[in-house]
Amino acid sequence: MPASSKSDLPQGTLDLLVLRVVALGPNHGYAIGQRIQQISRDVLQVHQGSLYPALHRLENRGLLVGEWKETETGRNAKFYRLTAQGKKSLRDETENWARLTGAIGLILGTDAGLAE
Amino acid sequence: MTWVGRLIRRNQLEKQVDAELQFDYEQRIEDRMRAGMSEAEARRTVRLEFGDLELVKEECRDARGLQALDSLLQDVCYALRGMRRAPGFTAVAVAMLAVGIGINATVFTVTNSVLFGGFPLFERNDRIVYITSGTGCCVSWADYQDWKSQAKSFKDMALVHGVPVVLGDRDGFRESRDATLVTSNTFRLTGQRPILGRDFTPADEMPGATPAAILSYAYWERRYAKDPNVVGSTMWVNDVPAAVIGVMPRGFTFPQNQDLWMPLVASPELRKRSNRDTWFVFARLADGATIANARAEMETIGRRLGKAYPLTNQGRNLLPHVVTFQDFFIGSSAASIYRAMLGAVGFVLLIVCANLANLLLARAMGRAHEISVRMALGAGRWRIIRQLLIESTMLSGLGGILGWGIARWAIRAYAVVANGAGLSDQIFGGRWFDNVLDYSMDYRAFAYLAVISIGTGLIFGLAPAHRLSRLDVSATLKDGGRGTHGSGRARYLPGVLVIGEMALAFVLLAGAGVMIRSFLKIDTANLGFKTENLLTARIALPARAYPRPEAQAEFFDRLTTQLKALPGVDGAAICDSAPTANTSNLPYELDGGSAAGGSRPAVAVLTAGQGWFRTLGAALIAGRDFNEGDSAAAAPSAIVNQRFANANWPGENPIGKRLRVFSGDTASRWLNVVGVAPNIAQNGRTEFEPLVYVSYRQGPLRGMWVVTHSRIPPDRLITDFRRAVRSIDASLTIAVGPVSLAEDLARSYQYKGVSGALFLVFAVIALLLASIGLYAVVAHSVNRRTPEIGVRMAIGATAGDIRKLIFRRGMLPPAIGLAIGLAACIPVNRVLKSALVQVSSADPVSLAAASAALVFVAILGCVIPARRAMRVNPVAALRQE
Repeated sequence: MPASSKSDLPQGTLDLLVLRVVALGPNHGYAIGQRIQQISRDVLQVHQGSLYPALHRLENRGLLVGEWKETETGRNAKFYRLTAQGKKSLRDETENWARLTGAIGLILGTDAGLAE
Repeated sequence: MTWVGRLIRRNQLEKQVDAELQFDYEQRIEDRMRAGMSEAEARRTVRLEFGDLELVKEECRDARGLQALDSLLQDVCYALRGMRRAPGFTAVAVAMLAVGIGINATVFTVTNSVLFGGFPLFERNDRIVYITSGTGCCVSWADYQDWKSQAKSFKDMALVHGVPVVLGDRDGFRESRDATLVTSNTFRLTGQRPILGRDFTPADEMPGATPAAILSYAYWERRYAKDPNVVGSTMWVNDVPAAVIGVMPRGFTFPQNQDLWMPLVASPELRKRSNRDTWFVFARLADGATIANARAEMETIGRRLGKAYPLTNQGRNLLPHVVTFQDFFIGSSAASIYRAMLGAVGFVLLIVCANLANLLLARAMGRAHEISVRMALGAGRWRIIRQLLIESTMLSGLGGILGWGIARWAIRAYAVVANGAGLSDQIFGGRWFDNVLDYSMDYRAFAYLAVISIGTGLIFGLAPAHRLSRLDVSATLKDGGRGTHGSGRARYLPGVLVIGEMALAFVLLAGAGVMIRSFLKIDTANLGFKTENLLTARIALPARAYPRPEAQAEFFDRLTTQLKALPGVDGAAICDSAPTANTSNLPYELDGGSAAGGSRPAVAVLTAGQGWFRTLGAALIAGRDFNEGDSAAAAPSAIVNQRFANANWPGENPIGKRLRVFSGDTASRWLNVVGVAPNIAQNGRTEFEPLVYVSYRQGPLRGMWVVTHSRIPPDRLITDFRRAVRSIDASLTIAVGPVSLAEDLARSYQYKGVSGALFLVFAVIALLLASIGLYAVVAHSVNRRTPEIGVRMAIGATAGDIRKLIFRRGMLPPAIGLAIGLAACIPVNRVLKSALVQVSSADPVSLAAASAALVFVAILGCVIPARRAMRVNPVAALRQE
């Protein structure tokens, strides 16, 4: 990958991001990838090789449901939406993430203080 | 989800993933073009961006968890490839499995239909029970009515009685056939209905109703050529016109292989509570009721009836007995033979398993390298075990399919042999039942086949799978797969398996040996009388024509007198039980003896006429025979056999002693012992039992066996015999015979011969399998030790030394197996005891023969590998190293 300015995703966070984006409204795979890129201001770029397995994994776990529908341009695409279980999982995982990043932030902050 | 369904769904999913990715791809191109790229340029960038499309798809598939099925398919394909690569091994393994599984399925099917079956075409045979009185035979119509109205454990209950009849038509045609008289609910209870015409209704059993008849399919076919117009026609039954109202389905035979059913008409004679001549009651258990409930309830009802009708219903022997089909119709001796057969083929299957485990172990050593490579490449232990178990169950599954074919053929062959030997007659212990058993594979037999097919695969696959999954990968890879056999206990496993095989084969051989010895002895066994030149027939006088005992006695008097007058005949006499036939036991009491309360001992009581012992060539030992003086008016007399005399009056003169017998709680008058008879075999055994004979003249019966002794072959008397019966009563039919007793006995022994021969077949198969097993193990060890043998030869061992080496190792497992088998066969053979005649279950001749056979095949199993070992070329062997 040539773009060094783009960050790699920490392990396991892709699922959370996908859930979050789908929570904004049902969408197809391509749009989900684009949204993640837009919202992160091009920092996060999700490759198809990760995105689609993630979508299928989430569908298999019952957090997402895929439906074939027409897009505005009249093409057939598979739209994903959150299930009740998916919503719950998104809530839990978001909390987890906040706790985790908070904790990491604390440690890094202390670390910086010690170094000075 | 089924396997196929999953595959189809998989295909659909695959297509969806394709479409989804395609959409993404095209959307991307559109976006690029909208941003100003040319189409060609857009396509190129997107293709680069996308990378390997197949990889993406693969990962989607993994994310869905489809790999389990994929890898299973992979294992199956792998196993198939393995089988194709080793066709010789596969063929041997499948052939052994097919034989083992095939004979197991055969014997299970046969045993299943004999022991757990019932009458053919009955719905839910497992819910049908039979009710009889404590004496084992016969019930009263009046009791049946009370049982039926009072018992709650049954859905319904029906009464059955069989009679011989003369059937005929308007043109004067007459023939003797069997009819069964049934209550009108009988067919509804069995769950069957006539295929033509109508079922019986309660109106048909009213006294005075037009007699109605329902034909069996077989009689309809034979006599009426399946003419549907027979329904509504008239036939003559005992010269009374009867309306044919229906035809039962093909194969429906109940309870014997008879020709027609008629309603059991409740005549005043039948209604008498003391009339206990009706055959039996059968019933369907109510939903939720168990046979234990039914037993308890019927016993309570029986006691209640005993109180209400003390004259006719008091006494233990008259309590109703609820029994299963097996208890009622199959004796314990036949049941034990079938169980032993099931055990025997189970042994054969175990030997097959041991053989295959050994073959697979030997092969496993050859595959150690391959497996190590797979493990080194990341295959988990469980994956390896699963792979090997799939291979072994595929082998056993194939064996099961072929075994099914073998079983289908063998069951048909068995049915032919069994019917030829009158097996079902023997099982049913009487002459009424003729080939009613249906030996077809039902769902239970198929379930059994499936379970043993898969089960054997798991059993024999386990040892090699366990062994291979614990390989030391690096060591195996280093020394090319040869260093894997020597580890610890596992080294002894093949030997232990062969020991087990030999022990099992020996037990089977010993069992077959005693059965066959018993069969050979039976012909020369001492039955206590001379079987030659005896002609027997059973005559049952109809109650309507012979109501009074005097008339019955007069008939048999006239018949025996006429028979004695026939040219060539030197004796004729009657008894209610033919020699060797079954008897009924009655409790008895000695005069002055058994003062203590407790239960009374029972003895078989036979009713015999004058000259019975002389006719059988068994002269009385002491006292006198029954004679004209033993009239109804005189004091009742009895003749006891030697066993009875020795058991009850040891060292005393039995003549003049007194005893009495009981029917229920009612005692007979005191019987004076007037004679001592030699022991005569009864009840199908050759061990003599105590017997008491009472005088026919002092207690006539309607059904008797008539026996003549002649100077000419008895077959030549049959026509004269029939003519004599007809000259006294032209309307009378002979229920059984006349038949030569010696021929009849031979026919009944054939049954024991058939089962003995079957055991021998199983034992020989077991022995062959065990010797193949031994051969394989010895040959494998010779192969493995070729370098060692080469070294031994190089340093001076002679061919004889090598042979000794191989034999010493090779004969050790059979020797240990023989010892174990000897110890085990004596308790195991005891199972057969009830079926053995004058042979001990530890018969030394059989054991010696079995040992010799085992040693012989063990030597055979070692000879070929030993030859090969002796021909090892030391130079070549050492170079190989």
